[in-house]
Amino acid sequence: MTDRTPLETAIEARGLTRTFREVTAVDNVSITIPRGEVFGLVGPDGAGKSTLIRMLATVLAPTSGDALVFGHSVVSDPHAVKPRIGYMSQAFSLYGDLSVQENLDFFAELRGVPRSDMAARSKRLLEFSGLTEFRTRQAQFLSGGMKQKLALAATLISEPDLLFLDEPTTGVDPVSRREFWRIISGLHRQGITVFVATPYMDEADRCDEIAFMTQGRIILRDTPAGMKERVPGRVIEVAVSDHREAMAVLRALPCVHSLEVSGEMLRVLVAKDAGECECELRDALTAAGFAVGHVTPAATDLEMAFATLIPTAGAGESSDEQIPAVGE
Amino acid sequence: MRRILAITRKEFIHIMRDKRLLGVILIMPLIQLFLYAYALSFDVKHLPTATLDMDHTATSRQYIDALQQSNYFTVDNVLTSYSQVDGAFESNRDKVVVVVSSGFGNDIAAGKAGKVQVLVDGSDSTGAQLGSAYSSALSRIFGAKIAITQAEQKGYNVTSAGGLTASVRTWYNPEGVSAAYFVPGLIVVLVTMITVLQTANTLVKEKENGTYEQLIVSPISRIELMVGKIAPWAFIGALDIVVIAVVGILAFGIPFRGSVWIFGISSLLYVICTLGLGLIVSARATSVDSANQVAALVSFLPTFMLSGFVFPLSSMPAALQFLSYFYPARYFMTISRTVFLKGGSPAVLMPQVAALAVFAVIIVVLAASIYRERA
Repeated sequence: MTDRTPLETAIEARGLTRTFREVTAVDNVSITIPRGEVFGLVGPDGAGKSTLIRMLATVLAPTSGDALVFGHSVVSDPHAVKPRIGYMSQAFSLYGDLSVQENLDFFAELRGVPRSDMAARSKRLLEFSGLTEFRTRQAQFLSGGMKQKLALAATLISEPDLLFLDEPTTGVDPVSRREFWRIISGLHRQGITVFVATPYMDEADRCDEIAFMTQGRIILRDTPAGMKERVPGRVIEVAVSDHREAMAVLRALPCVHSLEVSGEMLRVLVAKDAGECECELRDALTAAGFAVGHVTPAATDLEMAFATLIPTAGAGESSDEQIPAVGE
Repeated sequence: MRRILAITRKEFIHIMRDKRLLGVILIMPLIQLFLYAYALSFDVKHLPTATLDMDHTATSRQYIDALQQSNYFTVDNVLTSYSQVDGAFESNRDKVVVVVSSGFGNDIAAGKAGKVQVLVDGSDSTGAQLGSAYSSALSRIFGAKIAITQAEQKGYNVTSAGGLTASVRTWYNPEGVSAAYFVPGLIVVLVTMITVLQTANTLVKEKENGTYEQLIVSPISRIELMVGKIAPWAFIGALDIVVIAVVGILAFGIPFRGSVWIFGISSLLYVICTLGLGLIVSARATSVDSANQVAALVSFLPTFMLSGFVFPLSSMPAALQFLSYFYPARYFMTISRTVFLKGGSPAVLMPQVAALAVFAVIIVVLAASIYRERA
């Protein structure tokens, strides 16, 4: 099994399944992720993203199926996997009563970073995460963004080849989020494979490839550009006074596929072959008595792709992802 | 080894930074030591006592005076008729009523034992038991004294004169001081509580904080994690044993008659048992709250009830006695009391130490297998 996995492959999951009592959190997921890629996992809450990551990161045993990480099975040979990976869980997972430096040192010792390298590595990580001046502060007194950066630094101290990030920027301010992604881009350039689950489409857009996950299954996988192309139609941006009322009017039009609100705009998805749809939209709105601003074609975004490509059938009843205590 | 040390160092930092925990580890045992030694004292002194003298002779008055002066009784109520006895108990005023029968003086004078009736309030069982024991012993000694005085006056040998000599002697703890009996037992109880409770908490806390996942994605084996986590508590458990023992010896004047080595080795074995027990609880528990509850259930209750700490094992129902053999506290309790109060040769203590060793091995193997299975 091991020798057939090409060297360029970081992760190869086959029929990975995890059930919690009656709930199937991850349902028969098979996926191969090449080395050096930033791979984004996108899906609604409860889709099974965390469970999938936890299985790949050897934290949780699969109910059935297996995954090879750098050719080693997470089921039968997790100890060969662990030294190669870093995992950053959704919740803050460092010791609040230990200082920034102590946290880094602890994980360095725990993961067997050579003593001679420890000081240099932690100095470098503190610098690039901007935590140098907070070195002696207890982790519990850091801000949300700093905590996440520290968690990332602690994950990186052992210089893993593959990084699992489970919604690393949830609850982090936009500035810190951007900074966090700057760091991830840096890692990408160093050739580290990154597997990241994110609820943010702008983050997904930065990935090399993304997969849509819902109800425990990966239903689509493509590059962000590819995902956008799959959207059946084109987007027209409409500036209009009253969003809610206007949406009702537009929805009634036969050429309109779907709608979403984006800031001050309405983004309307219309069928590709609908031709000169803009006028039709404007006329309908004007006739209904709305003050209409510009109506212009716009680029499809991932938000739109996500909304249209994920089957809506189960959207309403997406069961809560059950995350029991570790080790269950 | 490096990973174990990393965990241990981290645990010590947690402990040192947690002021409340430090209090629990270092101050609470001392507070409990003083609390138990004083409040849980089974020495009964100054029992409130009522007397009813139906003899009205010089001898009977002498007897009642002797009661009063004995320190064990405080005569605070002098009754005049038998019908008042119930009232004395019901008002909760007295625990003991001593009735000197008529003819007491004559009997003593005739060289016979004087008749004294001791009524005790059975609702306070400890006081009652001791009250009756004291007063009967006192009566006999008093009776003998009178007999001796009379015999000497009459010029013949005491032993042939019918005078009684009651000889009650408590060995190893001659003054019957409870503190001496309690301190060695208290060491067992306190160490059990602290070690089981804290280790039970240690892993669950990491699970609740999400740090446990970080530990298990690290290349550390469960056994290394286990050893690293219990090492600080083994040290603290040992420290507590030493502190309580030293304070007990210095503040309560309890003796230490046995072998320090035997005590040290059995302490170590026992602490291994309790730490293992704590770890098992921690591995199974799903929250800090449930860990605490289960830990209290497996540490406090059996140590208190099934070790002979408070209730003598020999007077327990057979089923409970049987059960007590399956809990290591029983053996360590015996060892602790023996080395402090009696001394005890290695040959005598060997079976107890061996039992502890067996338990230590069983518990460690159990804990290790639980941890391995969860890898």
